[in-house]
Amino acid sequence: MALDEAAFNDAYRAHAGRLRAVAYDVLHDPAAAEDAVHSALMRVWSGGSYRADRGALLPFLIACVRREALDTVRGSKRRHLREVKVAADDPVAIDETAAIDPIEARRIRLALDTLPEGQRDVITRAYFGHRTLLEVAREADLPLGTVKSRLAAGLRRLHTVLSLGAAPS
Amino acid sequence: MTQHLDDDAELYALGYTERERSEEIEAHLATCAACCERVAAAESVAASLSAALPPMPAAAPQRRTWWPQLATAAAVVFAATTALEVGFVHGESDRVQRTDVALTALASTHFAHTTLTSRPGLTVKAIYSRDGAWVYVVASGAPAGAHVVLRQGAAQRDLGALDDGAPATLFIHEPGRGDEYDIVAGGNIIAHGKPMY
Repeated sequence: MALDEAAFNDAYRAHAGRLRAVAYDVLHDPAAAEDAVHSALMRVWSGGSYRADRGALLPFLIACVRREALDTVRGSKRRHLREVKVAADDPVAIDETAAIDPIEARRIRLALDTLPEGQRDVITRAYFGHRTLLEVAREADLPLGTVKSRLAAGLRRLHTVLSLGAAPS
Repeated sequence: MTQHLDDDAELYALGYTERERSEEIEAHLATCAACCERVAAAESVAASLSAALPPMPAAAPQRRTWWPQLATAAAVVFAATTALEVGFVHGESDRVQRTDVALTALASTHFAHTTLTSRPGLTVKAIYSRDGAWVYVVASGAPAGAHVVLRQGAAQRDLGALDDGAPATLFIHEPGRGDEYDIVAGGNIIAHGKPMY
């Protein structure tokens, strides 16, 4: 066999941990998270939808898994998945000490700090605070369209900041 | 659809587009390099954000997991992908690169899967390449000695017995294509399903 299978499995599981965390963050249910990861990978593999010119593979897979998990919540018949709600005062901060990758988490926090407050607020509420975009709009008293455009603009700006390398302070 | 994605590129990368819209976006991405680049940039930021998430708690009981099977299937597919140049695979430092090569091989290999129709308590999945080069059957709750049979019209071919693992598995090279996979035990068909090539 051309491949060191043990090494492959080790590294494969390393990716699986990240993918599971992404799904679990949305679903809060380990079994549902496993299913979401499984479905997303099967969808990718059977569809042959990945091409190298789409960028690196891991970010692509992470995006697929998150999309699958959010689709599961949106279309779920499983009541407990639909009822995962957050209290209005739930923290929306990054806990670097509990992060999968504390160093990258710190880099992200520093990069977020460089964003205009409106963009940072929308990203942290939506991504780290587990709000739907509608909930973010309600909490922040903004039109849904504004939430979407701030989220998109914030992500583009984050890309620039992260590409340049957020200076550690 | 020819219109560029605009803000939907970032919303899609974060999973905030409905499935129907996502499918439209994917169709557009197949034809638009500029939007591909924009989505890839947004996905790389989303991947960085995910590094700040906590890991999934490990305490959950292992109801069932397909990871070991998928990993094995992935390794098998990788080994079978002779078109890939793997000469650079050396040393420990490029382990992640190797994984990406293997996953890329998988992602660009045309294989499919089907869940077979079966009696209660029995779950069978068949993962198979669309050109009939291999099939990997994974079964939970199958009786000892159950066989996998590939039917093609009136002809049938016994592919062999599932092993006694939990779940039980069988990997077959060159099964060819067929109309239906059957799981047979004691002379009875206990599960069946059609591959879609």
